[in-house]
Amino acid sequence: MNKNKTHRLREVNCPTGLNWSNLKAELKAVWEASIKDWKIEFAYPVSFIRQLISPLIFLMPFLLYGLALIGGRYSENLAELVGNGDMVAFIFTGYIMMGFIGTAVWAMGFSIRRERWFGTLEAIYVTPSSRLGQVLGMALHSTVYQILGTIIQFIVIYFTFGLALKIEGILPAMAIFALMMLALYGFGIVISALGLILKEGWVVSDSLYSIMSILSPVAYPLAVLPTVAQQASYLFPTAPALDGMRSFLIENYQPEVVGNVFLYLIGLGIAWILFGIVVFRLTDVYVRKRGMLTKF
Amino acid sequence: MEGAYQQSVLRSNLSVVWNEIVKNNKTLLAYPAILIFWAVFPIFWFIPFILQGEALVGGLQSANFAQITGSGEYIPFIVIGAVLNSYVNTLLYGMGENIRREAYQGTLDYVLAAPCNKAYVLIGKAISESVSSTIFAASQLTISVLLFGMNITLGVMLPVFFITVLLMLGLYGMSLMLAAFSLMYKQSYDLSQTIGYVFYIFAPVRYPTESLPGWAQIFGKLIPLTYALIIIRSFMLLGTDFSAVYTEVIALIIIDAILLLAGFYIFSWMEEKTKKSGTISHH
Repeated sequence: MNKNKTHRLREVNCPTGLNWSNLKAELKAVWEASIKDWKIEFAYPVSFIRQLISPLIFLMPFLLYGLALIGGRYSENLAELVGNGDMVAFIFTGYIMMGFIGTAVWAMGFSIRRERWFGTLEAIYVTPSSRLGQVLGMALHSTVYQILGTIIQFIVIYFTFGLALKIEGILPAMAIFALMMLALYGFGIVISALGLILKEGWVVSDSLYSIMSILSPVAYPLAVLPTVAQQASYLFPTAPALDGMRSFLIENYQPEVVGNVFLYLIGLGIAWILFGIVVFRLTDVYVRKRGMLTKF
Repeated sequence: MEGAYQQSVLRSNLSVVWNEIVKNNKTLLAYPAILIFWAVFPIFWFIPFILQGEALVGGLQSANFAQITGSGEYIPFIVIGAVLNSYVNTLLYGMGENIRREAYQGTLDYVLAAPCNKAYVLIGKAISESVSSTIFAASQLTISVLLFGMNITLGVMLPVFFITVLLMLGLYGMSLMLAAFSLMYKQSYDLSQTIGYVFYIFAPVRYPTESLPGWAQIFGKLIPLTYALIIIRSFMLLGTDFSAVYTEVIALIIIDAILLLAGFYIFSWMEEKTKKSGTISHH
């Protein structure tokens, strides 16, 4: 009786194409990738705490050095350059961005590399979900992590030095921040693509991070950079975003970047995301064709 | 007869040190990108401080800085701090990670089972880390001199080198403890990073210690890097000699002696403990 029965493989409905069901499935994959990273994070509590306070550790030398240079928190030269000489407010609003540059470069760039170290990259690659979803999941985890670090930073600096920021500027500053993160994610996708190809990807990541941190006016206004560097800084979202955020948060701040910062960041974000996706796709195909996925 | 045996033992031990240096340098040379990175890119980490100085004071001299440090030029202050701190980065993390790397590569068992005194293996590792650190530091200093037009008198380089060696000895002691920790608990990375943070905040790497609160200044006096920076800046920026900083030199030597003795003792103790527990090759 069984001989005549035809066996068919059970069909699994994997949502494909651009539809709500597929998007929901991809978002779930992003969420799960983020949860996985949190679980790994909590498995090493000492490392978790150390990294949580590291934004504060790296901010303090900028402030203490500034105090040693000018003997107080007010710099006349800074006031001439940007309209407000409060060194603490200027550096704090700039430095909170540094960690997020690190998120884009390190967390996203290294997401692929780390999976390769753990030996789980192939397993992730054969799951029926977008590869980019995995990278974005890890970016989500790092962004939340960085936000926690920034909150600690804010509390300590507020109670140690005091901060004079415009409350009404917080919402537009957050909108600028969101647009900047969009462009930084595009940048991070490019770095993670490099991590697929390069054996020692951290050298490239760290080099790019170093260059980007000089081009970002974190502890100084753009005016002190050479003209070529000032022009190069417009290719990255951090310079216009920092300038825009400061103009909303700091009293009497004179923006250095001319034009609508929101439109500029939207354009830059779209360009970086598209560029990132194209580079990632091309790298993905190249690496798989050559069987380089698990090589390191 | 006894003399010949002693000579042979000494030759074997020196051979261990030499081969360890050769092995580490071969590994380093296998990754030229990493070599270039450490020789050049640490400069990019302190450039923001120089630009910050320019933005805050509008020139290359700061009157307030001169009051605190004796010299108003902040660029050489920052460059010297960064270059010496790069020894902390390479030596402190390097030694602990060197042991860990042997475990990753599956060679730690063989290294520890080799019929030689492990102290010589560690000396070989320490010397190779020091050689590479000194090459990187010299490269960073040369680029900084060319880039920022710093004036350096060649005459002070010998005493500066002597103090750098004293700093390295103190760091060896600390890294021996980290290597011991790495043997037993496998993860010394977080500990070495935390020590790096302590050095970065409490030693006068980016700013004079006078900028710190009183309790933090006292804590900073326990760190060998603090003395090395004070002495070397005195030589290079203020043109003083040993007589002006002899108390700092003595303090540095005492800290070195304590750290080295503690380092060797803790490493031998941890090595014995790990061998007994049979967890040497675990990672």
